[in-house]
This record gives sequence, structure tokens and C-alpha cells, in this order.
Amino acid sequence: MSSVTSSTAGQVADSRSGFLPDRVIHLHPTRRCNLSCLHCYSESDPRRKESLDPNALCSALELLRTEGYGVISLSGGEPLLFAPLRSVVERSRELGYRVTMISNGLMPAERVDRLLPLLDNVAISFDGLAPTHDALRGRDGAFESASACVRRIAAQGRPVSAAISLTRSSIPDLPDLVDHLVGLGVRAIQIRPVARAGRARSLADSSFFGASDRARLYLVVMALQQELQDQVRVHCDLAPSDGLWRQRDDYAGLLGECAEWRCEDRLLSDLVNPLVITEVGRLKPIAYDFDARFDIGSIDELSPQTLHAYKRTRVSGLRELVARALADMQHRGELVDWFDHCTRISSMQVARRPEPEHSLPAAHQRA
Amino acid sequence: MATVSTKELSARMSKRLANFKLSDAAIRSLADRVLIEGLSIGRFNPCIYGICIDYFSDKYPRLEGLSKKLGVSKWEVFPYGIIDWDRFLVRVAFDVAEFEGKGLARELGH
Repeated sequence: MSSVTSSTAGQVADSRSGFLPDRVIHLHPTRRCNLSCLHCYSESDPRRKESLDPNALCSALELLRTEGYGVISLSGGEPLLFAPLRSVVERSRELGYRVTMISNGLMPAERVDRLLPLLDNVAISFDGLAPTHDALRGRDGAFESASACVRRIAAQGRPVSAAISLTRSSIPDLPDLVDHLVGLGVRAIQIRPVARAGRARSLADSSFFGASDRARLYLVVMALQQELQDQVRVHCDLAPSDGLWRQRDDYAGLLGECAEWRCEDRLLSDLVNPLVITEVGRLKPIAYDFDARFDIGSIDELSPQTLHAYKRTRVSGLRELVARALADMQHRGELVDWFDHCTRISSMQVARRPEPEHSLPAAHQRA
Repeated sequence: MATVSTKELSARMSKRLANFKLSDAAIRSLADRVLIEGLSIGRFNPCIYGICIDYFSDKYPRLEGLSKKLGVSKWEVFPYGIIDWDRFLVRVAFDVAEFEGKGLARELGH
């Protein structure tokens, strides 16, 4: 790690890159899972074997640390089924990452508990109250097991949160589910609509949110925030489109004026946040199912040179996509799941040469 | 008559909003009203008018259009003044029959 790069990474630690407060790697070390959920965007299940080579992964994480990333969010598959997980987490912490994990809460207690001291937070996933949750997970008792896992972690005084994915029909479950989770001892709750991705594409159309459903969820979350106030933090992955437009300066790293800097001089985390590493080692912007044309590369071939080449020649496609998505927010007038919105349009938009700079909605071109 | 706590009213409100008995049209109308350009939502309270919302702004709020918005019962602006010169609190009361505070209290059995 060169001192110049380290210093640069240190300087950006406080600045914002996109709408996330941190510079995050979503790491999917394995596609293996003990469940086969009907709405799983990565189509994980017990028969899947794909997993990352831990040595190649740790080398990639070392390089990506110098590119400004500070948080690793472990997902899957079920990350606890990745045999070298502990050594990867230990190495990540040595590199200075904060590490969080999302789990289905069905793994044996000792396997979870051994890892807890190394994690900054654990989120257990829920889909609704017991009947809804167990049906989507395809396992009777899954809700009770996940609840027991939350209760046990909270009883140890460790930070535990809940990640709730909702289909449209499970919106009415939300107030009682949140009440249940608060009783178990969660410190935070994150709520998002199920994405039309992976196995979820087989769900009925009526499972997915329309504009009215997003409005309903947003209002419910506001009421829950009022109810819980300082007790538990409740966050929803929906935002008013005009608010996103007003916050477009957060994307100055990606959309800033090229006359002032060159993309290849920027850190990757200035340009791509979050970054996803899939179980086959692909590096993708924003989401697991972001269209492959926007892939950054593979961990097997990751080097300062390949990243330089990506920034110099290929980041322009992502830049154009985000610029157009942001410009669309100005007059859209509805509630938006920003990262899902970008992901959906990634599969529609053909990568093209970027537009002239004056067409981008960057900070210096305020309306 | 027993007092209904704000927490109880909020809990009841989240259930009422989550329930599909409240039509999509009513939800969209409410969302359109409460999302005010340039203002960030702080608190979201049931109140005697229906829903009262505290908004925050770091610019002097432009509220010319607010009184024309459908269903706004009243609004007030509080400059934070010496505590924070560039921050304003805008409290808006929305007339929402489905959430009118006395009705919620009745549902709670008080």
C-alpha cells in the first residue's frame, strides 16, 4: 500500500460518495444457503456451491481499502456457510474495515456467537409476521428461529438490527412486526420493498410495490418513527424524488466537472458506492443484479492497473446512468427506492459515450 | 376521560396507514400533501386536525403556495434564532378526516 494512496483514502473518509453515509462493499462470499426463499435476489439455495477463494478475496479487499472503502457488509447466500468467513473477517478488521453481516438467523447459535465479537453489527432478515415469513422462506418455524437469534444476540449486549423485505401484501404486517422486533431488543430496523430480481421475478406482479404502495410504506414508516422516536432507529429505503434531486451534490465525486479532474485520479469509492463483490468474484456497482455491462471487473484480475483502466475508459457508462437517473428525479414527484431504480434502468440503458459535461446535473449546475 | 398518549396514537396511525382499508387514492393524496418541496420532515404526529407535521429547512421557507394546498388547516414558522440562525421549523396541520385525533381516541376505547 503506497503512502500516497493511503493518505488520499484517509482524506476522503469524511466526505460523502452518493447517498450512503459510508463507502460500502456488499460482499457475497457464497451463494450457498440453508434456505431457498421465494424472493431471493441472488437465487441462493442449499445446492449452490459457488464461493470465493479467500486469498484472492483478501488481496482484493486490501486494494479496495486503499480505494477508500471503509465498511464491508456481508451477505449471501448465508454468509455463515462460507467456511473461511472468520479468517476473512479478521483480515478485514486488520485492514481497518468495519464489518457488518446480514443473516437469516437459522444457523446454530455457537456459529453465530463465535463471530459476534468481530462484527460491528448483525442484521437478521425478516419478511413479515410468522405466516408470511415462513411461507416466503419455505420453512416452518423460520420466523421463530430468527426471532430467537435476535433475542439471544441482544441478551449478550451486542448490537443487532432487523432487515425487513416486504412484498406488497405484507405491508399490513409491518406495525406488529416492528413491535415484535422492538420487544426482542433490536436497535435498528431497515425496511425495503422486495426487488424484482432473481427468484423474486417468479412472484406474482401483485407482490411488487406500485407508486401508491411506496407512498403507503413511507407514511407507515414515518408513523413508526414517531412512535419509537429515540428508542429504535427505523429506516426505509424510500425517499421523495425531489429530495434526492436536492441532494445531488452527494454525487459530485462521480458527476463532477471533468475539466477540474480526471476520473483516473479519483478513488474508486468516489465513483462507485456501494460496490458489490459477487460469489464468483465479479465487482459490480450498486447492486447484485446491476446489469453486467457495467461490471468493474473480477477480483482475480484486480490491480491498480485494471482499476485505472476502468476509471479512464469504462466508468463513463455508470456516470451517464446516474446522471440521467438523477435528472429524472427533478420532476418525478414520487417516492423512489434509489438504488433499485438505478438497477432497473441499468438493464434498459445501452452503455453509450457520455454526453457533453454541460448536460450533467452536477453540483455547479444547480437549477 | 383517560388521556391518550402520543405513542398510542402513533401506533394506531401506523396500523391504520398499513391497512389496505385506507384506499390507494387516499394514501396518494396524503403523500402528495405532506411531501413539500424544499422541506424535510421531522416529526409526524396525530393531532386534532388529523396529522400535524414538523418540517425543517435550512433556508427561509417559501410558503406562498402552502395556504393554497388542499387540506392545510394551519401552518406556523418558528425561526430557531440565536440557537441556529439558518434553521427554520415549519409546523403544518393537515385536515385528514381518517386520522382526526378524537376519532383515534375513540378507537382506543377512551
